[in-house]
Amino acid sequence: MSNQKKRNFQIEAFKHRVVVDPKYADKTWQILERAIHQIYNQDASGLSFEELYRNAYNMVLHKFGEKLYTGFIATMTSHLKEKSKLIEAAQGGSFLEEINKKWNEHNKALEMIRDILMYMDRTYIESTKKTHVHPMGLNLWRDNVVHFTKIHTRLLNTLLDLVQKERTGEVIDRGLMRNVIKMFMDLGESVYQEDFEKPFLDASSEFYKVESQEFIESCDCGDYLKKAEKRLTEEIERVAHYLDAKSEEKITSVVEKEMIANHMQRLVHMENSGLVNMLLNDKYDDLGRMYNLFRRVTNGLVTVRDVMTSHLREMGKQLVTDPEKSKDPVEFVQRLLDERDKYDKIISTAFGNDKTFQNALNSSFEYFINLNARSPEFISLFVDDKLRKGLKGIADVDVEVILDKVMMLFRYLQEKDVFEKYYKQHLAKRLLSGKTVSDEAERSLIVKLKTECGYQFTSKLEGMFTDMKTSEDTMRGFYGSHPELSEGPTLIVQVLTTGSWPTQPAVPCNLPAEVSVLCEKFRSYYLGTHTGRRLSWQTNMGTADIKAIFGKGQKHELNVSTFQMCVLMLFNNSDRLSYKEIEQATEIPAADLKRCLQSLACVKGKNVIKKEPMSKDIGEEDSFVVNDKFTSKFYKVKIGTVVAQKETEPEKQETRQRVEEDRKPQIEAAIVRIMKSRKILDHNNIIAEVTKQLQPRFLANPTEIKKRIESLIERDFLERDSTDRKLYRYLA
Amino acid sequence: MGLSNDRIRFNVGGRIFETTATTLANAGRGSFFGALFDENWNLSQPEDLFIDRNPDCFAVLLDLLRTGDLNIPPNIPERLLHKEAMFYGLIDHLRTAKWGPFDGNRLHLSRSVTGIAPGDGTAIRAGPDGGCCVAHGSVVHVFDWMLEEHPTINLDYQRVNDVGWIDSGNIVLSACERLGRGDGGMGLFSSSSGELRYKFQVSHDNQIKSYSAGALSFSPDSKIFTSCKGRSNEYGIGVWDQITGKQLDFFYESPGWSLGDADKLQWLSGKNCLLVATLFPRKDNCYISLLDFRDKNMVWSWSDIGFLATAEEKRVRDAIAMEESNSICVVNEFEDLGFIDMRMDGGGSSVRWSSRSRLMKSKMPDEPCYPKLALHEGQLFSSMNDSISVFCGSDWVLTSRLKRSYGGSICDFSIGGDRLFALHSEENVFDVWETLPPPII
Repeated sequence: MSNQKKRNFQIEAFKHRVVVDPKYADKTWQILERAIHQIYNQDASGLSFEELYRNAYNMVLHKFGEKLYTGFIATMTSHLKEKSKLIEAAQGGSFLEEINKKWNEHNKALEMIRDILMYMDRTYIESTKKTHVHPMGLNLWRDNVVHFTKIHTRLLNTLLDLVQKERTGEVIDRGLMRNVIKMFMDLGESVYQEDFEKPFLDASSEFYKVESQEFIESCDCGDYLKKAEKRLTEEIERVAHYLDAKSEEKITSVVEKEMIANHMQRLVHMENSGLVNMLLNDKYDDLGRMYNLFRRVTNGLVTVRDVMTSHLREMGKQLVTDPEKSKDPVEFVQRLLDERDKYDKIISTAFGNDKTFQNALNSSFEYFINLNARSPEFISLFVDDKLRKGLKGIADVDVEVILDKVMMLFRYLQEKDVFEKYYKQHLAKRLLSGKTVSDEAERSLIVKLKTECGYQFTSKLEGMFTDMKTSEDTMRGFYGSHPELSEGPTLIVQVLTTGSWPTQPAVPCNLPAEVSVLCEKFRSYYLGTHTGRRLSWQTNMGTADIKAIFGKGQKHELNVSTFQMCVLMLFNNSDRLSYKEIEQATEIPAADLKRCLQSLACVKGKNVIKKEPMSKDIGEEDSFVVNDKFTSKFYKVKIGTVVAQKETEPEKQETRQRVEEDRKPQIEAAIVRIMKSRKILDHNNIIAEVTKQLQPRFLANPTEIKKRIESLIERDFLERDSTDRKLYRYLA
Repeated sequence: MGLSNDRIRFNVGGRIFETTATTLANAGRGSFFGALFDENWNLSQPEDLFIDRNPDCFAVLLDLLRTGDLNIPPNIPERLLHKEAMFYGLIDHLRTAKWGPFDGNRLHLSRSVTGIAPGDGTAIRAGPDGGCCVAHGSVVHVFDWMLEEHPTINLDYQRVNDVGWIDSGNIVLSACERLGRGDGGMGLFSSSSGELRYKFQVSHDNQIKSYSAGALSFSPDSKIFTSCKGRSNEYGIGVWDQITGKQLDFFYESPGWSLGDADKLQWLSGKNCLLVATLFPRKDNCYISLLDFRDKNMVWSWSDIGFLATAEEKRVRDAIAMEESNSICVVNEFEDLGFIDMRMDGGGSSVRWSSRSRLMKSKMPDEPCYPKLALHEGQLFSSMNDSISVFCGSDWVLTSRLKRSYGGSICDFSIGGDRLFALHSEENVFDVWETLPPPII
């Protein structure tokens, strides 16, 4: 019986786990909870860190980690709720101070609690992937204080009010501001952005919208920009003083948008103070300010640049098309140079040497300079003027500066070949008349042209210089081999290579016997030293110095042209000559003769002969006598030829025609070059390529190109494609 | 507690210790002592500061703070010391002092850990902080650096093919699929708790498919690569993001080439390529290729098809790319090392076998294991039977051999966290090799 009973006994399983006294956990937690209370009540001096740490450790060790974790959160939450009530009760100005004070207290308490719970932080939280103590403490502050309904908006409004006050000139406690905003940053980027930064930016946007409207109604452009600049620096300073550095970009973009981008057009076009006004009056400071502010917004600089460009074009167009202003070529070019200097200075001082502005300046100049077809001639004349007399007394460096500026204008020219034509003519005149002031300046300009346009452009110009040099040597050789010629008139011959010099038809005339003898001697000397050459006399380009004795014995040396010399020499043999007689004796063409007589007889102070009857123009029935009463305070008298410095209308036409003639082979050469490599090309493409290839020299006219193509087809260089008439085919 | 000239007296578990605040400052702010001496805490207690802990361990840890060296007397169990170090927040100090920076020629066997797994081990992988995990059949045993074992991990108890550490807290496991159930594949686990964080899905044409995951590799830009075998023709290399767990890419294998069966994957940062090696006997031939995922291009490939008639015994058993020398090191079953030049097109180039053949053919053990290769900071490691050879220098000279008397052949080994772990095929044991701390002078 008893045995059976014994069998029925249940054997209880041995308890492996030692269960810790559940009260132990509660007791331990109470100790810790009390400590947290004391810490929050600033009464922690009596606490033993070792004891608290050990207790927290034991709780985790004995698997009460969760109880400890939730307990700490609950206790902290209740404390923070209490604190938020205290903060809420704070009145007026002390509100922020109270928040700041409580925040500092919380931070200190949090640090101490984290110390106590260090073991939990390291083990329990780590393995369960819960939020660590410190970030949890921050989250609790965020949720229970900052987001507490009665604090949330009040805090934000207080902060925004302070900013507003500071904007209107009041002094605020920046230190306190910084601490409170630092709190937002410590709570995490999203808290700072959502709870402060975003509303702050919205409020700022509203503020500047109103203010900019006010300013734009009451200020002129310069003042407005000054105010905008001031606001911008203020906001940047504000960020440095009490906001997160990352906010700088955002707040400045708000100011930029409200103060600049939204009023851009109105500012630029503001009457009597806008951009054009600033440009006209060289207001470097205002322009610089506008540049720096507009640079910050999209399309800001484009707006400024566009207005500047259209103003420049308008101004330039007036400048070059005003017939009054193109009367004097030198002044015309000088004005262009002045404008360029002006805008160069504006771009360098106010626009920070911005490349895009420089390009706008260049393209504007290019645009309007070419509006006046005579620009190439005028620029050459300007150079001529400078090289004839204008450079005297100017240092080499300054010469370079002037030449560089001229080159700048030259670069804008589309018809560079026209310039070349004129330049060649003017250079020839300068060289032959010996009037160039500085050989160095001449050569320097040629080098510049060479670097700009290449060897071909200047080879003929250089040839002219070489001719001058060789002629000197030839003259030395001539007089060396004819020592007997040291008596009597001196002949100086400049041998010009055909082709290098501007071609002018050789005008024949009868030279006085004394001279023609010499000429013959030179001819035989020259042809004796050089074989296979032909000399022809360009009497229309020569000059002569002759000695004259007038009625009362006044002696003068007259500097005259070859034609004038021929005429004057006639008076050695007779006192009075009629126009017809002179014409017959000299065989000078009528137009040249008339001009020559006019300059001898009709220019006041230089009238070495007298015309009968007295009048301005030369008639075929006039007769001439030596002016015995001629006087001059100078021994040497230079008798100019009456030449229009600027080209006359027919001459202009003629030059134009010559240029057009010269272009034809160049266009043809370009077409052949292109077709040789491409074999087949359609009309539009060929025009485009030719234009592009010739651009450095001139702007080819499409109709002219078409004519050249036709001509090449006629000469069997090209043919039209039999199926597609628009296609051209190269014939090898 | 004396505070004069920064001297401090402790009463630890009844024994008096005297030290300085300067010494204790070595513990750092994040430790018990760092908090204890923080000005927040009022320390003006007249008597010695009492700490209710083991005095013997305190002595060891105090010396650790004084000298930076760890000396554990034989009477102190390591586990107790670790626990004490955890209490004081000095566990990281202890970990740093325990063993020195890895050097294959100065390794010492520090411990052998015997497991209880029923079968052979598949793989052992060293973790980044000195822990390791061992795959046995369908279960993976996880050990932290203290060699304390954590809960095992498994993926639906399917056979594990490979494991790998993403970081010290996360392990990726690849396993066979169970047909029709969607089990297996690849999963990410917590190393400390063993819980499954998420499974990696593979989808083809927007349809999620079950698959077997093979070899694993990770890239520094948080990608996971694995060789995949799907139900139909989804063979190839899958790519996932470690952080989001999303599939990023899939490199399908081309006909006549093997990727999905790959034994070994290795991410090459310098070349921005993945090395994929499928080796005999998984397939009849050996295939090694480099894949560029940016343009889905196989930039280099090598195979032993057609080479075997003459060299029957030279079967490639493991391969490892050495980016610095632009070559791939391979090993055959007799531990002969061979090299393939990655600069030449692999199609024509043959393996340059080193003449170092150690004539071990005669004394092969009863249960041989295939040799394995590893590369660590310019040192090449190769396992064969019961030992691991260390090769150094540009000519790969044999400089050290790690060998232990029991446990049988080494079936896998791994280097990481400045430790080398070697898994033996018998007796379920793995060895931990460490470099000793630096010398005193």
